[in-house]
Amino acid sequence: MSAPGIALEAKAGNGLRATVTSDGAIRVAAGVVILLVWEILVRIAAPPYVARPSRIIMVFPDVITSGPFWQAAGATLAAVFEGLAIAFVAGTVVGVAVGRLRLADRLLQLYISGLFAMPMVAILPLVSLWFGYTSAGRLATVVFAAFFSIVVNVADGARAVPPEFIEVSRSFRGSAWTRLIDVILPSSVPYLLAGLRLAAGRALIGAVVAEFFMSIEGLGFFILFQTRTFHHNEAFVAVALLAGAGVLFEFALRQSTARFLPWYRRGERGG
Amino acid sequence: MRSRETLLIRWSTYAAALTIGAALWQLAAAHTNPAFLSSFTTTAARVVEYTMSGVLTDALASSLALFFTGFFFAIVFGVGIGLLLARVRLLRVALESYIMVLYATPMVALIPFILSMMGFGFVPKAVVVFLFAIFPILYNTVEGARSIKPELIEVARSFRSSEWAIWRDVLVPYTLPYALTGIRQGVGRGLVGMVAAEFFLSASGIGQLIMKSGQDFDIPGLYGAIIVITILGVVLISLGRALENRFAAWRGLER
Repeated sequence: MSAPGIALEAKAGNGLRATVTSDGAIRVAAGVVILLVWEILVRIAAPPYVARPSRIIMVFPDVITSGPFWQAAGATLAAVFEGLAIAFVAGTVVGVAVGRLRLADRLLQLYISGLFAMPMVAILPLVSLWFGYTSAGRLATVVFAAFFSIVVNVADGARAVPPEFIEVSRSFRGSAWTRLIDVILPSSVPYLLAGLRLAAGRALIGAVVAEFFMSIEGLGFFILFQTRTFHHNEAFVAVALLAGAGVLFEFALRQSTARFLPWYRRGERGG
Repeated sequence: MRSRETLLIRWSTYAAALTIGAALWQLAAAHTNPAFLSSFTTTAARVVEYTMSGVLTDALASSLALFFTGFFFAIVFGVGIGLLLARVRLLRVALESYIMVLYATPMVALIPFILSMMGFGFVPKAVVVFLFAIFPILYNTVEGARSIKPELIEVARSFRSSEWAIWRDVLVPYTLPYALTGIRQGVGRGLVGMVAAEFFLSASGIGQLIMKSGQDFDIPGLYGAIIVITILGVVLISLGRALENRFAAWRGLER
């Protein structure tokens, strides 16, 4: 099913090659300009401890070869992945239930949209009360941050299953279970991926704020500690890693939407 | 099916859901240590008390002033720069990938830098809200800019449209629906920024109310303040969504 999508892309690629290379050059040039402006502005106008590109490059090897940095990165990213996995499974179950069962929808809709709209930072004092100032508190924050965006999107997806599909499954006497596995879940996948994209971003924020608030080992706390001792350049390496993780999530989920669900993206863009 | 439901039925299901929720909460609290969960009735009583004494009004006024200051500048710069990128292709090619990176970066990570460089007055806190909210606005506006077919501007040009007319008739109508999607997303992120700023820079507003209740182990106060911020979130995000839907039809023109 994805073959026509690839063929189309390849065709477009050939025709556009010349503009693509010059666009790449423009991007690189813009990046250099941004770094230069940053460097010059900080040199002229900011106190010496403020992070600037030349210093960040100088401290970069030291930071990425240090044990504590990778321990912090590992702790944060492990919590993000674990939390996302929990939110993914639980969110899909609740989302399908809300999307397909009217009673569940009526009872839960209000609470789900309320908790989805709530700024997740607000629950930190509550989480630290329940879980103490521990990594369990961070995990709970990540799950809370990610869960509702998955529920909301999966519910939309389950609601949007074309009724014809359900009817066909019914007329072939498919059981409710086959209908769930073979009809409802597959057609909710694009929504699920969209929810996961949103959830991944929120999960990263959740992990970092939890580390700020509870002083748990991790990239957020690394940044807090380094900036407090005026090591802004070192702290910035951690920011770059977090940004990299954010971009990677975004990119991976977008690519998988484009690769496995090419019709979805084309539909979204209106051809 | 849903469209046939009358408003009355819809609101009564909401009321039923709320009643059942409150009853379950009350029941759960009766079997839980009050150090972790206060009952629905004591929490509701605390919210009423906060409202009567004016504590809540002051906190909300302070938080909203912070939110709207940061958000106002986020809209001005986000939409402004986005429209500029819509007009100048070179700038868009140069900057859009960096905007994408900043859109995906968790902005909370910058709070310690802002604290250390700017201290903890009103301005740095508004800067936090601004940073949280601007990138979804900018990112979506640029997305809208990309949706404008170059032919449209060419046609406008060949009919000798003035620069002003191109902006008014092509750029703004085509990017506005996308910008509003960004503004809706920005509301949610800006609210997170608002509470984060009130927590981590200097305590004020509704964030302070939450923090202080937590530190004092004032459990009903803590739950009450969290309910208030949830309602605030729902109201602001519904406003954003209503605005987005109002102009969403414009998107249909291009398809």
